[in-house]
Amino acid sequence: MDEKCAQLWQKLSVALKPQVSADTFKRWFSAVELVKATGDSLTFRVPNNIYQFWIESNHMAALQAAIVAALGGPREVKFSSPSGTSSEAGVDEAVIKELPVEQLRDNRTNGTVAGLNPRNTFETFVVGPNNEIAHAASLAVAQSPARTYNPLFIYGGVGLGKTHLMQAIGHYVWAKKKSTKVMYLSSELFINEFIDAIQHNNLVKFRKRYRQAELLLIDDIQFLGGKERSQEEFFHTFNTLFDGHKQIVLSSDRPASEITNLEHRLVSRFEWGLTAELQPPAIETRLAILRKKALALQIKLQDQVLEFLASRIRTNVRRLEGALMRVASFASLSGKELTQEIIEHLLKDILQEEARNSITIEQIQRRVAEHFDVRLADMTSKRRPANIAFPRQVAMYLARELTKASLNEIGEAFGGRDHGTVLHACKLVKKRMHEQDSVRQTISFIDSSLQR
Amino acid sequence: MKFSVTKEKLLEGLQQVQNVVSTRTTLPILSNVLLQANGNEVHLTTTDLDVGVRGSFEAQVEKAGATTLPARRLFNIVRELPSSEIQIDVDGKNAASIRSGQSFFKILGLPEEEFPPLPKFENAKVVTIRQKDLRDGLRKTSYAISTDETRYVLNGVLFSFKENKLTLVATDGRRLAMVDIELEFPRSHEADIIVPTKAVTELQRLLADDGEVKVSVGSGQIAFDLNKTLLVSKLIEGNYPNYRQVIPSEAKERVTLERETFLNSLRRVSLLASEKSNSIKLNFSKNNIDITANTPEVGEAKESLPVVYKGRDFSIAFNPEFLMAPLRNLAEDEVFLDLIDEMSPGVLKIQTPFLYVLMPMRISA
Repeated sequence: MDEKCAQLWQKLSVALKPQVSADTFKRWFSAVELVKATGDSLTFRVPNNIYQFWIESNHMAALQAAIVAALGGPREVKFSSPSGTSSEAGVDEAVIKELPVEQLRDNRTNGTVAGLNPRNTFETFVVGPNNEIAHAASLAVAQSPARTYNPLFIYGGVGLGKTHLMQAIGHYVWAKKKSTKVMYLSSELFINEFIDAIQHNNLVKFRKRYRQAELLLIDDIQFLGGKERSQEEFFHTFNTLFDGHKQIVLSSDRPASEITNLEHRLVSRFEWGLTAELQPPAIETRLAILRKKALALQIKLQDQVLEFLASRIRTNVRRLEGALMRVASFASLSGKELTQEIIEHLLKDILQEEARNSITIEQIQRRVAEHFDVRLADMTSKRRPANIAFPRQVAMYLARELTKASLNEIGEAFGGRDHGTVLHACKLVKKRMHEQDSVRQTISFIDSSLQR
Repeated sequence: MKFSVTKEKLLEGLQQVQNVVSTRTTLPILSNVLLQANGNEVHLTTTDLDVGVRGSFEAQVEKAGATTLPARRLFNIVRELPSSEIQIDVDGKNAASIRSGQSFFKILGLPEEEFPPLPKFENAKVVTIRQKDLRDGLRKTSYAISTDETRYVLNGVLFSFKENKLTLVATDGRRLAMVDIELEFPRSHEADIIVPTKAVTELQRLLADDGEVKVSVGSGQIAFDLNKTLLVSKLIEGNYPNYRQVIPSEAKERVTLERETFLNSLRRVSLLASEKSNSIKLNFSKNNIDITANTPEVGEAKESLPVVYKGRDFSIAFNPEFLMAPLRNLAEDEVFLDLIDEMSPGVLKIQTPFLYVLMPMRISA
């Protein structure tokens, strides 16, 4: 060990000796070396893993006391040992027979955490403006679990990457330290197991299992909504893990505050750490996703085809990837050349769905309200002050432009207003756009963010 | 498949394999027992994908065949059947008709093809051990197995085959139990393997007082062939910590104790050990130990035990359960306790190769 560490270890030894018996010090600490010291942690090198194990089980209090005495404050204690120690074993580590069954939720099976799709890693995740915050947060959490954002709450619509990111965190953490207890499950499974545990009187085992996790990843937490008893159980699990500085990552299809019938104390806990939204990707990101996927699957398609897919399928990545597979398999199986017509015919159902999904009046209202910093309720309210009325009118204009709804339908959506009101709003907004550049820019910005 | 059997034989057969079936299974087929009838016996197999057991019973097989039936339900039915003669008839759709006396039951099963087969052991290393020795050895060590799932390498017993000796080790970080069994085997069979807790528990149930067990080690799997029954288990992957480091090299004081008397005293005194500071104190003085426990606000207990002790006066505290567990599982009349000081581990020994290292607890002033 280097000078500085050697000196520090000397100091620590002096503080440690009186805390443990002479025999203990000789047996467990004389072979220990301090190899790294930072403001937060100390790393000790030990000859083999029994040292770490025995010291952690029996002498941590004494060690920490010595650290506080010598350094003025506690530090995180880490151990390193030369890998591949002892074991004169001749036993193969490979499992003899691969049974075609679902893996039980248990870290040790088959070289990966059970329940995690091996394809969902950070490497396969395409980052874009729609998800860079969520991605950065996930990476930070994976690199230092429980020390950055805890809990991490990721929400977003269907097929946008919530599960992908969560599992990526799981893989990363597990790859770094295989003994980490990583648990990945959907809240539905949590609820079912909880009910099962009650029925079979196995609550102790159930609690132990989840409260011993070092990284808890729960998908689709919105299913907890309305399930009081399960929420209570989850509340306790959350607290135990959180207080024990264990990382919790949750995903949901909507922000915590919008989950129906979710206890307020859970909502506030979920919002305690970082909430990150996953938005649908813009066209450039969609194209990047397609290209990456095509490369990974070794599919050769013309760029035009990929561009066509990227432009027409906007709402979710899963659908995008599915369309890619269909087109690619068709191309390879039929050997025919792909024209726009053929693709349109092939993906007829998806494209229809996309068209229907394109923009709803509610989405427009939301986005406009967000942009002008008014409440969603203001869109439908009777209030007249210009700072509320104008956004409302802009929303009506956009509804007219971007959806196929009739004036009447739009009026209905805006708090039962008359079709004439909507018409007037559209005219007024058009006039303003013509007169003021700033208004035109604002509206075009909102427009494009809706169109994506 | 069609066969007749006596209730006793069927019940016994089912009892042997029942425990392995886990109550919470992800796959329905895992809560079933596989029945294979041919010749004049029927084989039963159950598994939870980590541990599997295969047993058999004698029967009059009219028609050979195989199926899987819900284990728990079948057991409950058979247990309640009125008469000693039972006929079981399984049709092509895996529905089993069970007839006994005036009772008729029909339960639906799943096809045998779906049942996960037990692993095969080709080119496995086989070692033969006397059942009594193995059962004894496991009894002396299995109580010390760690239940902390985060340290999965310790959730089992280490079987170390080395230099004509099988060493069994179990530890949970606060105590360690180790036993040596003399055994002969070729050098090529030397290995360190870790057998998971569930397999150890099952094995202890199946091992008898006589006979031998053939232990086969394959890659990542182990099989215990007890002639009529076969237990197969996955091994825990990982390196077992170097346990020898834990064992203190020399003792300062040694005291000889009568095992049963000591155990009984501990049992009585520990009634007053609190749940918070779960410890009992041993105060050594010339030819005497005072065993004490106290719980603030509740009370205290003390017992004096005459012993052979000629060392210095000193005190040491232990977790009562950790101290009693080995005493309960040993059969010897006399045990030896080697001590160094109140902060160092104590070692429990007997005449034969066994030791139990136990970390003391802090004596609060």
